[in-house]
Amino acid sequence: MRTARYLSVLAIVLLIGFGAIGATAQEKPRYGGILTWFDYGDPGRLDVHAESPLVVQQATAGVYSGLLHYDPDEPTRIAPDLAERWTASPDGKTYTFHLRKGVKWHDGQPFSAADVKATFDRLLNPEFKSPKCGARLKPMVAGVEVLDPLTVQFRLKAPAPFLQSMASAWCRVAAKHVLEKYGDLQKPEAQIGTGPFRFKRYERGNLIEWEKNKDYFIPGLPYVDGVKQFILVGGPTQLAAAKAGRVMLWDTWPPMRKTQAEELARARGDTVDIYQHPVNTIWIVYLHTQKPPFDKPEMRRAVKLGIDRQELVAKSLEGAGVPCGILDPKLVGDYALPLDEVNKLPGCRQPKDQDVEEARKLVAKHFPNGVDVEVAVRSVGNYLDRAQLLLAQLRKIGIRGTLKSYESAAGFAVFGKGDFTMIATQDRAMDTTDPGDVFALVYTTQAGSNWGKFSDPKADDLALRALTETDRAKRVRLYHDLQRHLLQADLSAIPVAWVDGYYFRDKKLMNYKHGWTAYDNNTFMKVWLKE
Amino acid sequence: MRWVARVLGRFAARQPLGAAGAVIVLALVATAALAPQLAPHGAKEAAFAPYLPPSAEFPFGTDQLGRDILSRVIWGTRLSLYVGLVSVMFGVTFGGLWGVVTAYFGGAADTASQRVVDTLMALPPIILALSLMAALGQSVNNVILALTLLLTPTAARTLRSLALSIRESPYVEAARAAGCSHWRVIALHVLPNTFATYIVLVTVNISYAIVVEASLSFLGLGTPPDEPSWGAMLTAGSQAVEAAPWMFLFPGLAISLTVFGLNLLGDAIRDLTDPRLRGGLG
Repeated sequence: MRTARYLSVLAIVLLIGFGAIGATAQEKPRYGGILTWFDYGDPGRLDVHAESPLVVQQATAGVYSGLLHYDPDEPTRIAPDLAERWTASPDGKTYTFHLRKGVKWHDGQPFSAADVKATFDRLLNPEFKSPKCGARLKPMVAGVEVLDPLTVQFRLKAPAPFLQSMASAWCRVAAKHVLEKYGDLQKPEAQIGTGPFRFKRYERGNLIEWEKNKDYFIPGLPYVDGVKQFILVGGPTQLAAAKAGRVMLWDTWPPMRKTQAEELARARGDTVDIYQHPVNTIWIVYLHTQKPPFDKPEMRRAVKLGIDRQELVAKSLEGAGVPCGILDPKLVGDYALPLDEVNKLPGCRQPKDQDVEEARKLVAKHFPNGVDVEVAVRSVGNYLDRAQLLLAQLRKIGIRGTLKSYESAAGFAVFGKGDFTMIATQDRAMDTTDPGDVFALVYTTQAGSNWGKFSDPKADDLALRALTETDRAKRVRLYHDLQRHLLQADLSAIPVAWVDGYYFRDKKLMNYKHGWTAYDNNTFMKVWLKE
Repeated sequence: MRWVARVLGRFAARQPLGAAGAVIVLALVATAALAPQLAPHGAKEAAFAPYLPPSAEFPFGTDQLGRDILSRVIWGTRLSLYVGLVSVMFGVTFGGLWGVVTAYFGGAADTASQRVVDTLMALPPIILALSLMAALGQSVNNVILALTLLLTPTAARTLRSLALSIRESPYVEAARAAGCSHWRVIALHVLPNTFATYIVLVTVNISYAIVVEASLSFLGLGTPPDEPSWGAMLTAGSQAVEAAPWMFLFPGLAISLTVFGLNLLGDAIRDLTDPRLRGGLG
């Protein structure tokens, strides 16, 4: 009864909330005020080209601009940003971008095509590890040329979903003179962009602050005077800040669970809009293919078979997730293998008895007395809960895990170096809603987050063919073949689920639209505060 | 056996609160020893529905992962007492030996060692423990090591001051005059006379060690997350204060009861060994 009552309250809040959005859509924007929200952890490093954690993106999102971006007013639409317009050649292999005039960097230096070339030469450099933008563009782009100070041309290796990648929040343009001066973009003083906000302050573990860029190239924007991002680690702290009204927005990873959303609805009543949304993020269990015991394909298969994804989603996400698939139909439509088919595959099928028994036999074949494994996990979101559940499942098949937890940035550093045997849980967020993202990010040899060193020539070939295929029906078939192939393989990155969750927006925060990836629409260039 | 009963009877009559503490501590020790028999389920067994309220089947309810909280509290007793006892035994024993030996020999070594003790005692204990755990990594053994380092300087300082007065006692001088070696004097004449204080230090510090372990685990730097630490259970409970208050209520009660029992017992032993208060039990 109590749960039903809470759900009713939540439903009413949702209805009132969405009604309010519509009712206030025509109001005149107001200038001033400071927007407050939070990062789930301390980014530590700030180079948007070289890093992949969401907190790095959030810390720098409003500071930089891209050539393109997802329209803040219509987050599914690709819109010009630093590029005023662009043209594509008939064969789809050449894109020419015409840049805005008069744009200045935050330090007053003029922006030009040389900055664009310096940025993308850096991202496309085979020696430069760029897990997001670089990993996505390298298979597509052959080269970048400056045609004149305000025109830049990209040559592709083959037609590809290039514009979607260019609009990604990770493909921000950095200043050539800043890259030359600092060598990278890691430090706060190197955060010199062309975006709506200037990077003002970074207090480690506490706060990141932006201030309004009065010389922003879109006249009249931004509306707010600044943005404060509190670094809030852990669900209780984040929820407490939300309940106390200390943050105006929770539209970032980790999403709230249902019980948290209900608690917030009770605390804040109709002052907030609460909504459910996919976070375009896949939950992965990583196994290192070059380290014992998971250098043995049968041990990787045992883990794949032994994990009960449905239980993991039911308990740790309170049901808000799509188990098993490598692609989520909600996000990419028919590119995703139908869930009916996925849920019949070994490892995903229910009941689990047959798979668990087979997994136990595989482990016993190599380790008759079971095996002890160190299991790495970052202490963020509810990862520790997920990890404990996973360990309980692995014990049933003879794998005894010992958790080793890392602070957020330290964990990423360790994972990136491949210094782990198993990672209990790691969400990887997509940069776009293109189905190719997850393969460029995780499942190909050169993937930016292929931390377990998985390499399968057939998967690489299918991923490249699917990425560059222009016929939609053929592309769908190729992606289906690729998913079937990977779901049968002894992967190093076992897909557990696509994560959904609950978010909130304070009703005084106006003109904010939820992006389709966790990374987009975080520049706040068009949001304003009602009071 | 009759004399044991007589001693216990006198203890209960003289120190009723101490006797209550002893009963609580004995019950905890029994719970820890019989955890496999008493716990209805495994501490890490996540086989039930999450957030079930207390019921006949799950008297303490279940947690966010569907684990039986009663079983985890019972297994947690074993973990808490183990960490508390072992770290205190190591810390107080090592610190005590350090204090007694340096006090006995005196001189530059004693002065230098006391500056080390000063340095360690100048650091806030929980900050020191957190730093150590951050450096060492999460494991039960590392918690014990951190607690040992935390307890050592206090024990060294306390037992050194006692050993300084014992060193000047006539019987120590007599032993030296009789030709006993320094180590023989320390072993046979100084250490035995610090034993009562040593026992008090042990009993008083166990509850402290248990609370520090729970605090470290609460902050996510204690025992590994899946171990049934009461502190870690409190952390999990704090994430569902409104939805599942039983998640923090029962581990919280377990910590309180344990500290209460140990403090009552420790106070009673201190009173009995205080020369101004003691009248003996015999």
